[in-house]
Amino acid sequence: MRKIFRPAPVWPALLLLPLLGGYGYVFLHAEAQWQVAILALAGVAAILAAGSRRVGAALDRSWRAAPSLLGWLAFVVAAALIYVLREDHFALLMVATVLLYALVCLGLNVQFGYAGVLNFAGAAFFGIGGYTAAVLAAHTALPHLVILASAGLLSGVVGSLLVLPLLRTRGHYAALITIAFAILFRTFLEVNDLLGGPQGLKVPGLAILGWSFNDSIVVDADTEFSFYVAYAGFSLVLFTIGLILVWRLERSWLGLSLDAVRIDETAASVFGFQVARWKILAFSLGNVLAGVAGAVYGMMTGFVAPASFTLAESLIFVSIVILGGLGNPAAVLPATVLVVVLPEKLQFIQEYRYLLFSAIVILILLFKPAGLLPRSLRRYFPSWGKA
Amino acid sequence: MDAGLLGQYIFNGLMLGIIYAMVAVGFTLFFGVLDVIKFSHGDVLTVGAFVGLATYHGLDALGVTSAPVLALSLTLAAMLAMGALGALMARWIVLPLRNAPAINVLLITLMAGTVLRELIRLFYPAGANPKPFPRLLPTDSLTMGSFTLRLDNVILLSVGAAAIVGVHLLITRSRLGLAIRAAAQDSETARIMGINFQMVVLVTFALGSALAALAGVTAGLYYSEINFGMGLLLGVIGFSAAVVGGLGNLYGAVLGGFLFAALQTLGAVWFSVPAYKDVFAFALVILIMAWRPTGLIAEKTAERV
Amino acid sequence: MFARALRSILAAAVLLFPVTSYAKDTVKLVFIGPLTGGNSSNGLGGRNSTELAVKVRNADAKARYRYELVALDDECKPNIGVQVATKAATDRSIVAGITHYCSTVAMATVDVYHKFGLPVVVWGAVLPDVTYAQNYREIHRINGTMINQNETAAKFMVAQGYRRWAIIHDTTDYGKGHNKYFSQYLTRNGGQILGTFGVTADQQDFSAELTKIKDLGPDVIYFGGTTPLGVRIRTQMDKLGVKAVFQGTSGIVSDAYVDGLGKQAEGTVAFREGAPLERLPGGRRFMEQYAAQKYNDPPEAYGPFAYAAANLVMDAIERVGPDRRKVRSALNATKDHQSIVGTVTFDDHRQNAVPLITKLVVQDGKWIVWEDSDFATGKRKLVSR
Repeated sequence: MRKIFRPAPVWPALLLLPLLGGYGYVFLHAEAQWQVAILALAGVAAILAAGSRRVGAALDRSWRAAPSLLGWLAFVVAAALIYVLREDHFALLMVATVLLYALVCLGLNVQFGYAGVLNFAGAAFFGIGGYTAAVLAAHTALPHLVILASAGLLSGVVGSLLVLPLLRTRGHYAALITIAFAILFRTFLEVNDLLGGPQGLKVPGLAILGWSFNDSIVVDADTEFSFYVAYAGFSLVLFTIGLILVWRLERSWLGLSLDAVRIDETAASVFGFQVARWKILAFSLGNVLAGVAGAVYGMMTGFVAPASFTLAESLIFVSIVILGGLGNPAAVLPATVLVVVLPEKLQFIQEYRYLLFSAIVILILLFKPAGLLPRSLRRYFPSWGKA
Repeated sequence: MDAGLLGQYIFNGLMLGIIYAMVAVGFTLFFGVLDVIKFSHGDVLTVGAFVGLATYHGLDALGVTSAPVLALSLTLAAMLAMGALGALMARWIVLPLRNAPAINVLLITLMAGTVLRELIRLFYPAGANPKPFPRLLPTDSLTMGSFTLRLDNVILLSVGAAAIVGVHLLITRSRLGLAIRAAAQDSETARIMGINFQMVVLVTFALGSALAALAGVTAGLYYSEINFGMGLLLGVIGFSAAVVGGLGNLYGAVLGGFLFAALQTLGAVWFSVPAYKDVFAFALVILIMAWRPTGLIAEKTAERV
Repeated sequence: MFARALRSILAAAVLLFPVTSYAKDTVKLVFIGPLTGGNSSNGLGGRNSTELAVKVRNADAKARYRYELVALDDECKPNIGVQVATKAATDRSIVAGITHYCSTVAMATVDVYHKFGLPVVVWGAVLPDVTYAQNYREIHRINGTMINQNETAAKFMVAQGYRRWAIIHDTTDYGKGHNKYFSQYLTRNGGQILGTFGVTADQQDFSAELTKIKDLGPDVIYFGGTTPLGVRIRTQMDKLGVKAVFQGTSGIVSDAYVDGLGKQAEGTVAFREGAPLERLPGGRRFMEQYAAQKYNDPPEAYGPFAYAAANLVMDAIERVGPDRRKVRSALNATKDHQSIVGTVTFDDHRQNAVPLITKLVVQDGKWIVWEDSDFATGKRKLVSR
């Protein structure tokens, strides 16, 4: 009896978090070729180690021993990283970009990882959010928090246009529907001059409660924080909310219903699950997250144009979800770092960077066919020994 | 609109349709044996066209001048090379991921496609630029009003149709085809019956990829120009055509290919801004999927619970 | 033992970090353009040309500084553009930039350069709004806008006796902008537009559009777009038996266009801002030097502009030193600067008021200046009916 209830040690995860923060700091500052190469190799080695039985299981157990404590610690580490980078505009822009992309991928994870609805139009919903922010912020006096909410809402509403065909189809047939939507969305924006056509629209900066995010934060005469601190911090808060939401969803009966629907639709409906309801819920939730992220991203970069929301961009989002490991919300973050930051860090090889990047992803998948950190089974009673 | 113009539109549509159909047949074959989307298919087509071009330049340098010999050998070289590439990719990229979620194959083939595309762009001499493709077929033409029928286009159309019929016969009439169909229907049972599953997969991927190479060479001979990005959209449209027609069904792929070509041609004629034709074609695809959820020619299987 | 290990470590360290003493201070410049994706041939041409300018300057013993070029890839995507622009603009060691081929990217990044005070010279984006939609002192442009180009084009073609046009343009900002200005000047000068066809930039098949155009029977097909599409449309015109003059924009003035078409390119006309390279002594030297470097890709239409922009920036730095504000002021005041693309003078929006538009035509597999061609003397005709 005593053995079963013995809690796992917390220290492995506790140790890991500050390490990750430090690694992030060094990686964001690496510029020379050999630095990037060494850091990238170290990162891959660490991830492979985490995937190995013993190390991975130890981390897993220690995480489960005190999830909320460690979760908040992770938040603190991330916030500390943003603070340390406070004067480094570019690093902060990358941090904010990663967090917003990761937020979109959390949404896609709910859609595909839980409910089994594959969405190849992630960038389109991201774009709907960006365009909504551009139009509403430029032409109305709505408070920006309301604009962010409307961006999410509109993404959800546009997504609901696809719900009917998506409910009737499965697998590759359903995939085609979102692919078709991604292509027609981009072409429509480009041909139609209503929303700026191919040239795109300028987006005003975010301002919440009278605080304009585009102004640098002046502490005193000598210290000035980059204005990206505000965006990175806000993105961190949004991502954290999204992550908590998705985690709660997974652990609740909602998550169980979604799993049932994904694993066997027919059986689920025989047992009285309302398949349509769960699919609609998951699909809409994912699109809302993408829309909100798109609105913040548009306001941060100050510009939206059709060329940023193509099918190729949607495939990048899908790649992040798959590379991380389907259905594991925590895996979204390392995968986003890999897909978003690595090509940037490869700028020194200029025109060869996508060749190398694709080759790296192929290698990772050959060694880890199920993604970097595949989803593990739910354990409602984590202290009940080794599963 | 006079009859000549109408004829021209129809013929244009047929040419476009046969290229789409060849790509779509590949997708449907892959789907049959392994339940996967192979996103690098369009790029295999591109590489095929470039292998054809390189072969042409090689033979040209050796002093071969006969156009039929050149055309035939560049087509064969492209098909053989891509057949081999298809089998290699199946062996080293697709099959290792058999036990992962099927969708992971999508990512790895997407990346493999990027690698192929970037290799052409960076390492084929001046590969970032469009390349002229040799005109090797007789260009005698028949003009009736505003309708121009050229012999080379007729040849391309017939070769494409013959290739698809050939694949169909192979699948339905040969022992190899029987093995492919068996593996597609139930891979476990097929294995128990002594069918070498891995071999069937490799052969199927080789077959589909060779067909893509033929489509690439056809596009090169038809448009007299190829470029490193030509396979991107052709791949997506080929996939769409295969799905709209109904996956795993050769007739469906052909039907889907011609349907897609018809939609695009109609769109280009109807709209004052022809770019709307893609909005039109893909919007209609969504509607068709809502109407026929498993494609126009539905799969004839009941789901076992 | 320990001492030996230490010595070898030290030796390795010396190898890794060579203690070099440059007589000159090093000044960093940034080049930004599309190095991957569909527009990469232009981006690589611009990158190589900028690199060449820097190499030539570094070989010059009289130069006060040693220049180092950082090249970044914007992928022709506005969001990536903002990302790399932020990277360059916030790197205080970078003094000035030679930036952007794609207009959308240039539009998206002007705010970034302004916010962080990095003076840049745009080398290829042609949308008028890049310089005229704001009044930022950091943004300069050495190439002309599509307005100048199309005014000359419309007047010239009407003067040649053509009256009926069909227009094909891609639906990017480049193609749409060209369509807008060309249509405007064409109708003003008495030309007639029979039909306008917007097509997507990745389209392969144009038979439906061209069949429609064949039915309309225009004298000239105007194409607003870049080389890949231009090659496809021109080839497919012949296939369908469309007989008309093919008129392009600066986007098809490239070796790739002529190589991609072979014989069919003969008689294509196009227009480009700036003086013809061959006519200026510096231009010919540029082409020789470029050829000597054995780059994988040709300079393309805008390579000379990137080269001229790099020299403009380096001249300013030579004069006022590597200080962003001073370089900005020096660039702002550019007047009668002699470059390989002609005289550069910035107007009140720091736009090069390029007075000259070069008319070009393909003859015997080469783009040559119209006035020097057999077409101008009447020896050859643009299209045989």
